[in-house]
Amino acid sequence: MKKLKKIVLALIAMVMIAGCTTDKPDVVDPNVDVESKIVVATEIDLSTMDHHLATDATSFIAQTMVFAGLVELDENNQPQKDLAESWDVSDDGLVYTFHLTDTNWSNGTPVTANDFVYGWNRLIAQETASQYSFIMETIKVKNAAAVTSGEMAKEELGIKALDDKTFEVTLDAPCDFLLGLMAFPSFFPMNEEFATQMGDQYALTVDNMLYCGPYVMSDWMSGSGYKFTKNEDYHNADAISTDVVEFKFIQDAQSAMLEYQSGNLDVVTLTGQMVDAYKEDDGFTNRLQGYLWYLSVNFDEPSLANKDLRQAISFAVDREKMAELVLKDGSIAAQGLIPVALAKDKDGVDFRESNGPQVEYDPAAALEYFSAAQAALGDEISVELLYEDTEAGKAVAEYIQNNLETNLPGMVVTLNSKPKKTRLDMMKTGDYQICLTRWGPDYADPQTYLDMFLSYNTSNNNGKYNSPAYDEAVLEATQGASASDSAARWELLKQAENIIIQQDLGVIPVYQNGGAMMIAPGITGIEFHSAGVDNYRNMVKE
Amino acid sequence: MGKYILKRIAIACATLFVILFILFVMLEFMPGSPFNDEKLNEAQKALLYAKYGLDDPFFIRFFNYAKNMLQGDFGVSYVINKNFAVSTMIFQRLAVTIVIGIQAMVLGTIVGLILGILAALKHNTWVDTLASIISVIGVSVPSYVFALGLAYFVGFKLGWFPITYNPSNAAMSTILPTIALSLFTIANIARFTRSEMIDVLSSDYILLVKSKGIKEYKMIIKHALRNALIPIITVMGPLLVGLLTGSMVIEKIFAIPGIGSLMIAAIQGNDYNVVLSVAFVYSAMYIFTMLIIDILYGVIDPRIRVAKGE
Repeated sequence: MKKLKKIVLALIAMVMIAGCTTDKPDVVDPNVDVESKIVVATEIDLSTMDHHLATDATSFIAQTMVFAGLVELDENNQPQKDLAESWDVSDDGLVYTFHLTDTNWSNGTPVTANDFVYGWNRLIAQETASQYSFIMETIKVKNAAAVTSGEMAKEELGIKALDDKTFEVTLDAPCDFLLGLMAFPSFFPMNEEFATQMGDQYALTVDNMLYCGPYVMSDWMSGSGYKFTKNEDYHNADAISTDVVEFKFIQDAQSAMLEYQSGNLDVVTLTGQMVDAYKEDDGFTNRLQGYLWYLSVNFDEPSLANKDLRQAISFAVDREKMAELVLKDGSIAAQGLIPVALAKDKDGVDFRESNGPQVEYDPAAALEYFSAAQAALGDEISVELLYEDTEAGKAVAEYIQNNLETNLPGMVVTLNSKPKKTRLDMMKTGDYQICLTRWGPDYADPQTYLDMFLSYNTSNNNGKYNSPAYDEAVLEATQGASASDSAARWELLKQAENIIIQQDLGVIPVYQNGGAMMIAPGITGIEFHSAGVDNYRNMVKE
Repeated sequence: MGKYILKRIAIACATLFVILFILFVMLEFMPGSPFNDEKLNEAQKALLYAKYGLDDPFFIRFFNYAKNMLQGDFGVSYVINKNFAVSTMIFQRLAVTIVIGIQAMVLGTIVGLILGILAALKHNTWVDTLASIISVIGVSVPSYVFALGLAYFVGFKLGWFPITYNPSNAAMSTILPTIALSLFTIANIARFTRSEMIDVLSSDYILLVKSKGIKEYKMIIKHALRNALIPIITVMGPLLVGLLTGSMVIEKIFAIPGIGSLMIAAIQGNDYNVVLSVAFVYSAMYIFTMLIIDILYGVIDPRIRVAKGE
């Protein structure tokens, strides 16, 4: 028996030694000051570093770390100079001339106006197949639509390199929000020679990119994380005070929180269920996002084409309580189609404030409209609510179901949960009745929401809302004579929101996304933007 | 024996081809597409389909894919890591999963065997009861409960090991997931070893061995354990495949860049090539593990070797 013990002990020892031999030596870079490293948890893995192929916030945030645009947004969403040291706008608002600062790509070649021309052309080239190619039309660059669809040669696009340091953009019509969008990665420059040389390998590894931003990407391990090291050649490198920023991919919020509490992570996103446990802690942060969740109603469904029913549904949902008791993560009740803090008029008044609440909770009114709907549709009305199989999606859908069935006796709501890609497919093909869906703003203007529900917008107007009055207001504001008159434009946009929400209930807004986070005390400088990309470039750790 | 192995390998390859075809058909019926983001319009979608050859007829796509696969080209990812070669993505992650899987298997087998042998030798004593309790807990408590407990108490409270995977300290990072994963193996192996050993120990030839006066440890290792091992190896096959394909939950809790989490992300994102390749690799691993187990039988039990050699 003693020998058995020895054998067992020897075996255990062997396993332990075997475990140790797979040990890779710890790589410790002596040049890195431990004090100035910040580790951020991301619950979504980095999809792409090619800024023309990116579609998600995680990728955009990473790209703003290592690349740069003509401007960057400050904490008040105002454009500040970045690669452009100054710019002129012609009196009619149609010609923007950007003067570039002297700065180099990470291989030593200077950043020139041609890098912008190449980048912008690549964004809309057919072979790139970028999901964001539409944004060139949004800012109304001359001939953008024709060049994007391939009807015109790329040389006809209204952009020009006047010389190495001067980049000129000509528009078809003035665009109030153009400058802010220059901070968006789709409009970042790209070095033609390097990108052509890399071909389809461009941006697939840290060595296959040229950097011009505050950081260079020093490590990228798919499924695990990625790391940025300060770029000493960045033109404004003096303003960057953190040497290393690391993003660690951790899907499980609980595990991320344990790492945060152990001091290994500095920035962590919380789920709604975790909020109660940590909301009193130092470092708890609630932020408001620009995402608006709304109910898309399918107008092909006879019952939902009934306006009384849509009105009853809208009045019957208690959005305030939903945000407070179900979501808990800083989300707020939607007041209209345009989220809070998305866009301001010339006087700095928030669109949401100036157009007032468009939807409210009123069970008595809901019941009244529901009776009218019942008179037309019969006593029992059943609808199916399609939603995404996420934690929040399920909670909200169940809450809405409960609200409707309690406040509207005779209403039956069945729930249908699907993965996101399937949900989107079902919406595109019209295979749904009501769907809980969302839209993230691409730029800080109401147009990013209002354009979606034009009667001919087959990509986004899934419910087939069709109102000539709405179409007219939106088109006049965005392409008509009023497009160049800020005040008149704003009035038309407000009118359009009134038509689709208050008057027609073409869609039913539900809530605006919040985000609860833990940011380690002592870390400042993370800038959240409701439209555009959150900025982690200027983080400071005391 | 050699002929037998060759035949088995040929059958395995044919099976894999059929599996690939079935996977392809199933993906065809999967709802959604990798390119149905809310921001994409129809024209862009058509462009993307053309770019990646997804608009070709089914059989052309299938044979192109099979042909490329033979050359080691598993296609590119459309969603998770856009335009990354799927083969590189899988290779990187498979390595991590396999290291943790094998560690868990080795740990689980050794501890399981020890527990099982002790329980059998000390049949109906407190040792036996303790081993049984551990087995029951191991089989009935889901591994993620155990994983969360380890993460909280050992990783966070005691701070002995990293909670989430850290590539610069990879070996230490694998310890907690290895322990969490091995529990199920420990429980299963211990149960089987115990019952097999009790069976063998009460057989006539053990009585003969004992009467010959052979030392106890020699009797256990050489005569009892060897015969008890055959059924144990049968259960080890599926257990090993289970460990090697990665536990999705364990990988999520410990943030391990392994293949289990990749599979889930790929299915959710409709990342066709990744789903196809990972499922294919799973099948290949399963088939070849079973093949190795079959060969191992022959090594352990000459009777099986002879029968199969015919």
